[in-house]
Amino acid sequence: MQASLEQKYNFDIVKWFTVASVIYLVVGTLIGVYIAAELAWPALNLDIAEISFGRLRPLHTNAVIFAFGGCALMATSYYSVQRTCGVRVWSDKLAWFTFIGWNLIIVSAVITLPLGLTQGKEYAELEWPIDIAIAVVWLAYGLNFVMTLATRKTSHIYVSNWFFLSMIIMITYLHVVNSLAIPVSLFKSYSVYSGVQDAMIQWWYGHNAVGFYLTAGFLGIMYYFVPKQANRPVFSYRLSVIHFWALTFGYVWLGAHHLQYTALPDWTGSLGAAVSLAMIIPSWGGAVNGMMTLSGAWDKLRTDYVMRFLIVSLAFYAMSTFEGPVMSAKTVNALSHYTDWTVGHVHSGALGWVAMVAAGALYHMIMKLWNTEMYSAKLVNLHFWLATVGAVIYIIAMWVSGIMQGLMWRDYDEFGTLTYTFAESVAAMHPYYAMRAVGGLIYWTGGAVMLYNTIMTIRQATAARSASPAAATA
Amino acid sequence: MLEYFHTDWAAMTLNDWAGMIITVGVFVLMIWAYVHVFNPKNKEKLESMRHIPLEEDDNDSEDTK
Repeated sequence: MQASLEQKYNFDIVKWFTVASVIYLVVGTLIGVYIAAELAWPALNLDIAEISFGRLRPLHTNAVIFAFGGCALMATSYYSVQRTCGVRVWSDKLAWFTFIGWNLIIVSAVITLPLGLTQGKEYAELEWPIDIAIAVVWLAYGLNFVMTLATRKTSHIYVSNWFFLSMIIMITYLHVVNSLAIPVSLFKSYSVYSGVQDAMIQWWYGHNAVGFYLTAGFLGIMYYFVPKQANRPVFSYRLSVIHFWALTFGYVWLGAHHLQYTALPDWTGSLGAAVSLAMIIPSWGGAVNGMMTLSGAWDKLRTDYVMRFLIVSLAFYAMSTFEGPVMSAKTVNALSHYTDWTVGHVHSGALGWVAMVAAGALYHMIMKLWNTEMYSAKLVNLHFWLATVGAVIYIIAMWVSGIMQGLMWRDYDEFGTLTYTFAESVAAMHPYYAMRAVGGLIYWTGGAVMLYNTIMTIRQATAARSASPAAATA
Repeated sequence: MLEYFHTDWAAMTLNDWAGMIITVGVFVLMIWAYVHVFNPKNKEKLESMRHIPLEEDDNDSEDTK
C-alpha cells in the first residue's frame, strides 16, 4: 500500500521540504536566542559587525519566516494538495525547482544579510536580485499548485487548498508591489515609493505577509491536518467557507494600523483599526472550528501528543488574533507602539500558532511519509512542553517589559518634564530581556529535540525498510 | 459626524472610483456568501465536503486494487 502511494504521489519532494523545515526551525530559533542574549548582554556581539543585532535580526526573521515557515508551507501544501485532489503533483521538475530555488534564496540571505546588504524594509530586506529570484520560484510553486488543482480527480476543491491558493496569489501580489525598486548597483536599490507612500506600501505588505503567509497558509495546514490527526471531519465546513472569505476580504485593509500617529492620514489608521477589530469574528470562528473538530473526542489530547500541538496552536491563534486588534486601537496603540509588547504579540503568533501548528503537521507527515511511528513519543511530548513553556515565558517577559516601557516613556511630572530618560527605560528592561532569552532557549531546545527525534525516526524507518525489502514493496 | 463622512464627489479620481467600486462589489459578494452559506437549503451539500480528507485513504485503496 505504502509503496503504491509513493508511486502515485510525489512524496520525495514533501520529505525534503519536511526535513529542511525541521532543520531551519532549529537554525532560525538559535539565531533568535543569540540576538535575544545580545540585547540582554550586548558584549556578546564581540564588536563584530556581521554578528551584531542589527545584522542578525533580519537573518533571524528571514530564517524563521521564509526558511522554516516557507519549507513547512511547501511541504504541507504539496502533500495535502496531492492527497485531497487524488493526483500526483502536476510537475515533478517544477517541484524540485522550487525546492532547490527556495533553498538557494535562503543561502543568499545567509550571505547577504550579515554583510549588511539590505533594503531596510522589515520582512522584505533582501536586495533586488534575490527579490527577482523569490518572484520566479514563488510563481513556479504557484503554477505547480494551480495545475495540480486543475488536474484533480475530485469534483470539489477542499477548503485547505483555498487557503493555500489565497496565500500564493496574495504573496505574489504583495511581494512584487512592495519590492519595486530602482537598482543602482548589483546589491543596492532604492524603493520606487517615497515618504509616507513607501511606509504605507511597506506595512500593507508587512501585515499581509502576516495575514496571508503566516495566517492563511497555516490555516490551510490546520484545516487539513487537524481533521486528519483527529480522524474526524472538521466541525463545520460552512464556518470554514465564511472563515476563508471573511479573512481574505478583511486582511488587506489592516496594514495602516502599523502607522498610527504618523504622517499617514488619520482616517487610514482608524479604518485599519476598525477592520482589525472586526477580524476578531472570523479569526475566532476559525479557531473554534478547529478546536471543536475534537468535540466528543477530547480524550485524544491525553494520549495524542501531535494533537496537542495542533489544538494548543489554535488557542494561541485565538489569543493573538484578539490581542492584535486590541493593540491596533488608537488608545492602546499609543501605549504599545514601539515597545516590546509588539515583539511579544508577534511571538505569541509565531511561536504559539505558526510553529506549533507546523510542528503538529510535520510530525503527522513524518509518520505518514516514512510509514512508521515516531522514534520516541515521549520526546514529542517533551517538545510540546518545552515549546509551550518557552513561548509563555517569552510572551510574559515581553508583555511586562513592553507595558513598562510604554508607561515609563509617557510618564511626566507636575512641570510637564519626562520622569524617566530613555536610558533609564532601557536599564529597566534588562531582567525581562534575560527572561526572554531563557524562554527562547527553552523553545529552541524543543526544536532541537524535534530534530533529533526526526533523524532517529527516519533512520529507524530506513533500517526497517532495508531489513525487509519484501515487506516494503508489498 | 456629517463632516467626517463628507465626500467631495467631484474630486474623485479614476483610481478612487475603481477602488470604491471594487470595495463595494466585494462587500456585496461577502453578504451574498453569508446568505448562501447559512441558507439551510445549502447545509447538506456544503457539509458533505468536510469528509474529503478522511475519504482519501478509501480512494487510494480503490486506486491500488
